[in-house]
Amino acid sequence: MSLIGADVRIEVAEEHNPDRKGGADREFVGRTPWQLAWARLRRDRVAMVSLGFIVFLMLVAIFAPLLTALIGHGPNTQYSTTGLSPSGIPVAPGHNGFLLGTDDQGRDVLSRIIYGARISLEVGVGATALALGVGLVVGLLAGYYGGWIDALLARFMDILLSFPILLFALAIIARFGPSLDLVLIVIAMFSWPYIGRLVRGQVISLREREFVEAARALGSSDLRIMFVEIAPNLIALAVIYATLLIPVNIVTEATLSFLGLGVLPPTASWGNMIAEAQTGDLFTVAWWFLVFPCVALVLTTLAFNLLGDGLRDALDPRHGRSNIIPPTKQQRVLAKLRKRTAREAAREAERANA
Amino acid sequence: MTGTDLFEGVSDAEDLLQVEDVVKHFPVRGGAVRDRATGQVRAVDGVSFSLKVGETLGLVGESGCGKSTLARLVTALHPVTSGHIQFKGKEITTLSRRQMRPLRRSVQMVFQDPYGSLNPRRRVGSILTDPFSVHGSLSRGEAKRQVQELMARVGLSPEHYNRFPSEFSGGQRQRIGIARALALRPDLIVCDEPVSALDVSIQAQIINLLEDLQDEFMLTYIFIAHDLSVVRHVSDRIAVMYLGKLVETGPVEEIYSRSRHPYSASLLSAVPVAEKAFRSVRKQRVILTGDVPSPVRPPSGCRFHPRCPKAQAICAEEEPVLEQKQGDGPGHLTACHFPVTAGEALALASREDPPSPDAAPSLSQGAPQ
Repeated sequence: MSLIGADVRIEVAEEHNPDRKGGADREFVGRTPWQLAWARLRRDRVAMVSLGFIVFLMLVAIFAPLLTALIGHGPNTQYSTTGLSPSGIPVAPGHNGFLLGTDDQGRDVLSRIIYGARISLEVGVGATALALGVGLVVGLLAGYYGGWIDALLARFMDILLSFPILLFALAIIARFGPSLDLVLIVIAMFSWPYIGRLVRGQVISLREREFVEAARALGSSDLRIMFVEIAPNLIALAVIYATLLIPVNIVTEATLSFLGLGVLPPTASWGNMIAEAQTGDLFTVAWWFLVFPCVALVLTTLAFNLLGDGLRDALDPRHGRSNIIPPTKQQRVLAKLRKRTAREAAREAERANA
Repeated sequence: MTGTDLFEGVSDAEDLLQVEDVVKHFPVRGGAVRDRATGQVRAVDGVSFSLKVGETLGLVGESGCGKSTLARLVTALHPVTSGHIQFKGKEITTLSRRQMRPLRRSVQMVFQDPYGSLNPRRRVGSILTDPFSVHGSLSRGEAKRQVQELMARVGLSPEHYNRFPSEFSGGQRQRIGIARALALRPDLIVCDEPVSALDVSIQAQIINLLEDLQDEFMLTYIFIAHDLSVVRHVSDRIAVMYLGKLVETGPVEEIYSRSRHPYSASLLSAVPVAEKAFRSVRKQRVILTGDVPSPVRPPSGCRFHPRCPKAQAICAEEEPVLEQKQGDGPGHLTACHFPVTAGEALALASREDPPSPDAAPSLSQGAPQ
């Protein structure tokens, strides 16, 4: 239709309205980006198993006192009569009611692993949450304002990232004495620049988008633009990288505990359990009290990493394997019904032919 | 409720907007060690025009000629390098951020890309509540009622309040963009290519909507487009831009029927004509050669001279002023030493043989020095 010289009103067709019921539109269901991501994640079996394991681990950590009461062995109690053989060898898994055996001091390995999960998750999740908060704010400020603020903050992050974390952490902890809070803060201090740099890069590209310009045209303040307009677009990224940062931080905590600068004995932490186990050579005959804490650490790290990968695929379809939109439950049920009726119709026709 | 005390009290006869010789240069950064301004993109280089209440000014020109930059200067999204912009008689180029707030209510913008101009992570209701929460003191319920009214007014279903932008079509999204611009009842809306990202059938709906709203709310538009037929349909006046300068401005019918600047003439000859009846009166197509020169180093004199079919020696030396040419109506201004006359056929300009000075006809002697 030409608009030339058309002083007449242009006739227009009615715009497609996805809300209209009936016809091909019946199966249209509006879903939020989060619902779509969840639907995609649910189809990722590896990620779902990992998520299940993490939820299980969290429940175990939360209900640790209850669980150890059920088992009947405290984490720090030394069972010198039932937990050690007369010659001082730890009890093997499954004997005397010790499901995963005992360690060189006659303590229940399972109870200690359960309590160690508390420490690992507390430090891993806590330090990551702290890092996420600081990284988001600093990244937003640096990316949004640019100029000298960015130069200052970006350089600062680069400097922190170039530090040998372990050496510096050792120095700080050696100076102030080991404690759980200090470990958490030190780990957060060295992991926030990863989030900060990532966020900064994302903000630099987001601030040029037209919706930011639109907000500015409305007279929105800088703070409002940063936290109302830009921040929601960073959440997916933050969730993915936080999930991948948690296992790194768990391992860092274990490393510090292993080196004797994290959680102090007798409090159980996977790191100091491994450290204690490998000091003597008792583990050559009683492998279980070295292997089981290692397995717990590896499984946890693996689960978080796999979940992070799954989340990346689900939240950012551009980088993932699947950018399909999975069917809703309603659509799945309908498809199944349709298939079944088609199959029955075919069988019916076959019978009629015969 | 339209404005605030700062921007009130303007009669219809006065100019709503006066733009005087505005210049916007963007520094080109470079340098091996430190960031240094190594050059300047002269995006807008001395543009003047004015707008009356209720008028629609169509701004046309090739990509990169500075249309969108001019739009962002008028809406005060970018600061000007020099020049003056007066809105309702108040200078706006020197306002601080705080002083700018009332202006933000009165001047709004509709963006080109209906996909980029809406935040993908926010619900439509929340996007449209923004204007009220940034400026107003409306209660939550009242704001929601206003937003739903607004959605109904631009042809969206108010039940879509809780949807995300991704659940709408391009046309519907542009309606959301228009609703957002309209929310605070502005006086001036700058439409930066509002329909160029849409299908032709949807374009017509959006243009009809914009025209209806103009009548209803006494809106003044600056309408930027490169689709010349769309511009002709909506505009009262046209301004043609080339490389950061206005080359011709005037009432829409006069520009379309008797354009004087060779650039506008060639631009308008490119408009496709569908009806046979129109085709017979159509002018011969003028095809320009070459690309738009770099705005970092614009040509000397008249910026169009390297591509102009009528260029003479003087065109490379002296910049023509934007003035009323002989035989034109009032308000029709052209910046050209040798304006196109009626019935004249423009020859093809070619880069290979620039006009030699000795071949210049006597006309050039009559031109101002």
